Amino acid sequence: MRGLPGLALAFALLVVCNEVGNWLSDTLALPVPGTVIGILILLAGLLATGHVPDPLRRMTAFLLSHLNLFYVPAGVGLMGYIALLRRDLLPIAVALVVSTLLAMAVGALVFRWAAKGDDGEGME
Amino acid sequence: MSDIGIDLVPLDEIGAMAFWLALIVGIYLLARRFQQKVNGHPLANTVLLTALPVMFLLAVDKQAMLQYEPAGALLLWLLGPATVGIAVPLYTNFHHVRRSLKPMVLALVAGSTTAVVSAVGIGWALGAEAETIRSLAPKSVTTPIAMGIADKIGGLAPLTAAFVIVTGIIGAISGAMLFNALGVKDERARGFAMGTAAHGIGTARAFQEHEVAGTFSGVAMALNGIATAIVLPLIWLIAA
Repeated sequence: MRGLPGLALAFALLVVCNEVGNWLSDTLALPVPGTVIGILILLAGLLATGHVPDPLRRMTAFLLSHLNLFYVPAGVGLMGYIALLRRDLLPIAVALVVSTLLAMAVGALVFRWAAKGDDGEGME
Repeated sequence: MSDIGIDLVPLDEIGAMAFWLALIVGIYLLARRFQQKVNGHPLANTVLLTALPVMFLLAVDKQAMLQYEPAGALLLWLLGPATVGIAVPLYTNFHHVRRSLKPMVLALVAGSTTAVVSAVGIGWALGAEAETIRSLAPKSVTTPIAMGIADKIGGLAPLTAAFVIVTGIIGAISGAMLFNALGVKDERARGFAMGTAAHGIGTARAFQEHEVAGTFSGVAMALNGIATAIVLPLIWLIAA
């Protein structure tokens, strides 16, 4: 399927996967968020199909390249917590900065250590 | 979260929503343009450059918050389906995942654990309230998943969402500098660590640096979202 209908269908598929994931998470009281279940459903579908339909590839590439736009309201939401921020500003600021730097450092160093010797042969 | 309430919405509310949507998208496009002008400097982060003017407008005009909210809710809702789309690069890069399985799994476990434990530990040591600590725990995971985790462990989902954004911006701004200081040159390692610690915002940054780094960052974001979502609520369940 080409053009707009295909893209609309691809978008609908993403929405359905997400909603089914949310529904399963709520109904079965699973500890895992619906979006993760949605990812696993779509991944299982792709593994079963053996290829990515072109409209789905284009739609996900478009959405993922603009993730930063969709993150904006979550950042703006910080405004609703001025009182809590005032109370816990120091622990929050230190935790976010230090923890993020630590996680990046540990992740990169462990990856390099574990990949020692393969010199990126996994890359084409 | 998925309820955008299309029943009985008066026309002027739809107009206000369209106005705010256009405004946010417009600021975002300008931010992207600016980012290209400064050759993708890490400080020129599009989330930061878009959120700050929006927050300023909302702070100046208190009335505007009511009109902004539906537009914000729509964009936030779109994060769900957009995040489900991670399955596609995950599938297409399956051969990378298979070939670099060992370093990926080890870096994922180490990076993911460090992100959660250090955030919770620092928050606790510096005397943050319990709800703040619970909201900090999933901060390295992409927003819709982190909000879901926060719900499950008794954190405040919208607060978690904001922490996630700040985390992503911190990672995107400082990542390259940190990896250079540590002497990590392998683009796979740089990208994977970025995606584990700083999710989609880090991934957007990683793609600007190198395609391999971006790909590994995207895979790491997906894997860390899944891993943290499964492990963290279970740990909380046992600890509680």
